[in-house]
Amino acid sequence: MNALEIKDLRKSFKGFTLDGVSFCLPQGCIMGLVGENGAGKSTTIKLILDILHKDGGSVKILGKDNGEDIRLTKEDVGVVMDEVGLPTCLTAKQVGKIMASTFKNWDSAEYSRLITKLSLPENKEFKDFSRGMKMKLGIAIAMSHGAKLLILDEPTSGLDPVVRDEVVEMFYDFTRDETHSILISSHIVSDLEKLCDYIAFLHKGKLLLCEEKDELLARYAMVHCTAEELARLAPAAVKYKKENAYGTEAVVLRESVPDGMKISPISIEELFVFTVKGEGK
Amino acid sequence: MKGLLLKDFYMMKKYCKSYLFMLVIFTVVSFFASDNLLFVFYPCLLCGMIPVNLLAYDEHSRFTVYSGTLPYTKAQVVSGKYIVCILVQCAVLFVTATAQGIKMAVNGSFRAQDFFVILIIGFCFSSLVAPISLPFMFKFGTEKGRMVYFFMIGVVAASVYGLSTFLNVEQIDMGTGLAGALPILLCVLCAAIYALSWYLSIVFYRKREV
Repeated sequence: MNALEIKDLRKSFKGFTLDGVSFCLPQGCIMGLVGENGAGKSTTIKLILDILHKDGGSVKILGKDNGEDIRLTKEDVGVVMDEVGLPTCLTAKQVGKIMASTFKNWDSAEYSRLITKLSLPENKEFKDFSRGMKMKLGIAIAMSHGAKLLILDEPTSGLDPVVRDEVVEMFYDFTRDETHSILISSHIVSDLEKLCDYIAFLHKGKLLLCEEKDELLARYAMVHCTAEELARLAPAAVKYKKENAYGTEAVVLRESVPDGMKISPISIEELFVFTVKGEGK
Repeated sequence: MKGLLLKDFYMMKKYCKSYLFMLVIFTVVSFFASDNLLFVFYPCLLCGMIPVNLLAYDEHSRFTVYSGTLPYTKAQVVSGKYIVCILVQCAVLFVTATAQGIKMAVNGSFRAQDFFVILIIGFCFSSLVAPISLPFMFKFGTEKGRMVYFFMIGVVAASVYGLSTFLNVEQIDMGTGLAGALPILLCVLCAAIYALSWYLSIVFYRKREV
């Protein structure tokens, strides 16, 4: 079963259109949603959760249409939004009590364990939390009610590198259970590269690409050469290129590069930047 | 639903201490200094602001968006505010009614029928402000909706003041004739406005994209 099935998802605002986004997240996998500011990542997530009303298309969460009693579906979905919207006067302890009355499967012991693990104060008001602490509290809530699917919108932003690594490790542990899946959006592509099985690129409301990460890294490579050297390659082999006074950088199809030409592995971040810039031309 | 009410309870504990203070002040003033109904029912009117303020805090902290990630329907989010409203109004009514009853008993003017009639009329008037304002807030947000609220407070306060200028709390006789039916009519009207308001708020909030 797929944890998420999104078909032809559409939504229009003034000045922005999410244009027929489709992708599937298989159960047990992690998908990274990569996109610049305003690409449509948060909109996609809000449409999945039915916080925004879709103009068209369909969304299935854990096999159920998000139009049919999403309240029950949300028992199985842990969510961290880009801004954790908890009332500012609440403490982590009070939040625990509220969530215990909210989720049927709330695990108070797990919540306490995560609060301690993430070094969060129990009795400090939310308004006095740093952005990183707010995010950590959001993550603790999302992971304390036996969710089968985590939907995370920029969950690592505001976290210092050490905590970020710890949190990424927590997400990784979460998917050791093969019925658990994660959809995660982030600007910090290096985190996604570490974590994800699938990568989706969103740009100006359009899905440019959605594939297995290992497949992408195996298919594409970077070349640093002169314009003349690049011109010797078949045009179809060169996906995107960038020229400057010091030479040419290009994303190429590995299998089309002749022996002897020096190539280097590509990172997801490089592939994203080149893909987006290529789209703009 | 219980979680939403608990959240509102924590928020009231933090933000609404001043309302408690006002309730005490107005109750004391109405007890010792004045026969004007405005002093008796103003706390009820004021406490109608509590759900409105809680909604404003929810918007400010973006809980309105966050609640969309929790297993609650929009109808439950709306209903939470109405339940808070009813509970608060009942608690305030209990305090003001007790104070007013004691006052009338001390003055030797306590007549059960008059007491309940006055109580019902005042309560109906003062408790209607929030249900009239809430649908606007759920539709347009608290910033714009709050203007309706303040307008309604003005209208109701003026009405209560005007009525109580003509009707003396302790000498009124509304137990007979057309006046006798007024409390029942008001109760029915009040319940109908509440129900319509609740329904409209749910409809508006379902359509609203936060």
